[in-house]
Amino acid sequence: MRARDVGLASCHTCGLLLHLPASGHTHCPRCGTPMHMRKPNSLNNTWALLIAAIIAYLPANLYPVMTVISFGKSQSDTIMSGVIYLFAHGDWPLGLIVFIASVLVPLLKMLALLYLLITVQKKSHRRRLQRTRLYRVVELVGRWSMVDIFVVALLAALVNVGAVATIEPGAGAIAFSAVVILTMFAAMNFDPRLIWDYQGEDNG
Amino acid sequence: MAEPNPPGDLDSVPDAIVDEKNKGFPVVWLLPLVALLVGGWLFYKTESEKGPEITIRFRTAEGIEQGKTQVKFRDVTVGTVNKVDFTEDLKAVQLTVTMLAGTEGYLTEKSRFWVVKPRIGAGGISGLGTLFSGAYIEFEPSTEGKAAKSYIGLERPPIVTIDKEGTKFRLRADTLGSISIGAPVYFRQFDIGEITDFKLADDYSYVDIGVFVQAPYDKYVHTGTYFWNVGGITMSMGASGAKLEMESLVALLSGGVAFETLPEFLDTPLATENTVFELFDNRAKALERPITEIVTFALKFDGTVRGLNIGAPVEYRGLRIGTVKSIELGADPHNPGIDIPVVLIDIEPQRAQAYRDVDQLEPQEDATGEFEKDPLSRIAVLVKRGLRARLQTGSLITGQLFVEMDYFPDAEPAALVRSGQYPEIPTLPNSLEGIIASVNNILDRVEKADLHGTLENLNALMVSTTRLADTLEKDMPELSAELLVTLKSAHSAMATLEASTSADGEIGSELQSALKEISAAARSLRVMAEYLERHPEALIKGKNTP
Repeated sequence: MRARDVGLASCHTCGLLLHLPASGHTHCPRCGTPMHMRKPNSLNNTWALLIAAIIAYLPANLYPVMTVISFGKSQSDTIMSGVIYLFAHGDWPLGLIVFIASVLVPLLKMLALLYLLITVQKKSHRRRLQRTRLYRVVELVGRWSMVDIFVVALLAALVNVGAVATIEPGAGAIAFSAVVILTMFAAMNFDPRLIWDYQGEDNG
Repeated sequence: MAEPNPPGDLDSVPDAIVDEKNKGFPVVWLLPLVALLVGGWLFYKTESEKGPEITIRFRTAEGIEQGKTQVKFRDVTVGTVNKVDFTEDLKAVQLTVTMLAGTEGYLTEKSRFWVVKPRIGAGGISGLGTLFSGAYIEFEPSTEGKAAKSYIGLERPPIVTIDKEGTKFRLRADTLGSISIGAPVYFRQFDIGEITDFKLADDYSYVDIGVFVQAPYDKYVHTGTYFWNVGGITMSMGASGAKLEMESLVALLSGGVAFETLPEFLDTPLATENTVFELFDNRAKALERPITEIVTFALKFDGTVRGLNIGAPVEYRGLRIGTVKSIELGADPHNPGIDIPVVLIDIEPQRAQAYRDVDQLEPQEDATGEFEKDPLSRIAVLVKRGLRARLQTGSLITGQLFVEMDYFPDAEPAALVRSGQYPEIPTLPNSLEGIIASVNNILDRVEKADLHGTLENLNALMVSTTRLADTLEKDMPELSAELLVTLKSAHSAMATLEASTSADGEIGSELQSALKEISAAARSLRVMAEYLERHPEALIKGKNTP
């Protein structure tokens, strides 16, 4: 039995237990915090953010993340070209890390969110526990994807030696940070409780 | 279902306050829209910055990197090499270059591309900056001609780029000399241009050399200007001795040309672009007056012509009037069947005109009546007056000979022989030959002299000398014995003298006793004087004897 089944919910802020109508915007009479059974428009918002993230993912990988200008010779690198460079020079452990952190993880995160959204929308009953765990992983991992952007930002700020070497962030870096931020918001907006709704029997 | 009982009644749980429903536009859906717009704008921006895609062929892709090498014009990047590829026949490298937007109008068939990399040449070092930045492709835009998409890159930077003003000329030379592309062009030893290219003429009959003369010096090039080669070291060994010439160190390494306009040609019009000039071997040749008329004569010499080279000067009283054309063997007119050296000389009669007025000659002596016009008949007259050719030593060190022409009124009379292929000027033996002849003469006289009588006299003298020596030899012992006796007596006389003068000798002892007596007398006198001092009365009273 869920709180929702008896029309009860507690306020997130002051913990006051309240009767909640099935639908509509409500707020806590004691502290004024907006109240809702489930995150409002969770699916809708998640979808929107996820689609935006997917769109941003393309330029993030196609455009250079940073441009190194050294002795008048500029070299622009996309994420993948950096990975390929690292692999080609035998630094495959480092290349692997970059590849996983910057290419694979955002991709898997988006795929995971997509999977969660679709299964929730189809009111699937299957593997609810695993899906919940998947969601937790997605939310946990989210913030760490920003490491790349921090590296670029740091390098751009630190390496500025005029003619000898200058590093400029590229359009890809902005797109990439957009991907990370949008997926983080998407994961935040997803309400994992939805996974557990639509069940006749609570056997989890 | 293990639901814990709440502390209070569930019915006492208050209701949440229902808000006004706000069914507006789901703002969150703007996000994918914005993402799409931003992405689309990015795509549009990069695509719109891309200009035309062109291909450039080079022999090699040295220093060129795919995706990195840039195409620059005046150090501004106008394109990037996208792809490095081979041509289908593998004979060249084909670069696909994406130019920036806006360059379309400058990509015509006249546009040029070349790779800028460090180059060390005779003219200096260029492209040092590319040591650090890597090679790049220089682009020379052009708006002339039709638009083009594929180019053949220049293997070396062009000498004449659009930012250099000047005029191009063509030079013709028999041989290239030591000229190289980029070699300097000098005007009064100012480096004011460069050799742009050279190639063989289509029929291989000459070398076609392109020169570029920078503005404003190109206005010193008239149609009457002479160009000559200043490359390398010119070393000439001729009758005038050894000569070493060098314009500059750069020219020594890379060759070069120089030009000069003689004052009399300053009135000629300015040379226009691509005017063809002859390139002379050296300045002296360039500044010689143009010779168009050449008459060939034959000279037959009885003696050797060793030391005479083809090209040796023919001089008249020290002035050059021609050149030795060839040296071969020909028939001797006096001894049929025997070959003697025949020297063909090219006389340039115009040289003579430059120094002597034709009108001063005497036309009445001319047999043919074409005195002024026909140098041949003129020479015939001169030969009649004693004009002869002979070989002279130009330099005793090198032993080089030259042909000297002069008047020898005392020479045996001879005439210009006009029967052969070339008219023949009579010759005289060379001065060295003359010396040899007089030495022979002396030897002849020596041979004819009364050597025998002289020798006999000499012999008689020798005999009498011997006789004298013999006599001397015979009288020698006698003479020496007498000499010995004389010496002995002299010795004894000396001994006697010595003995008598010594202390023990006769004279010595007498002398000694005499001296003793004298000293005794002196002593007595002193005693007496002392006694008189003390007893002066003794003089009167006498010695007081006690």
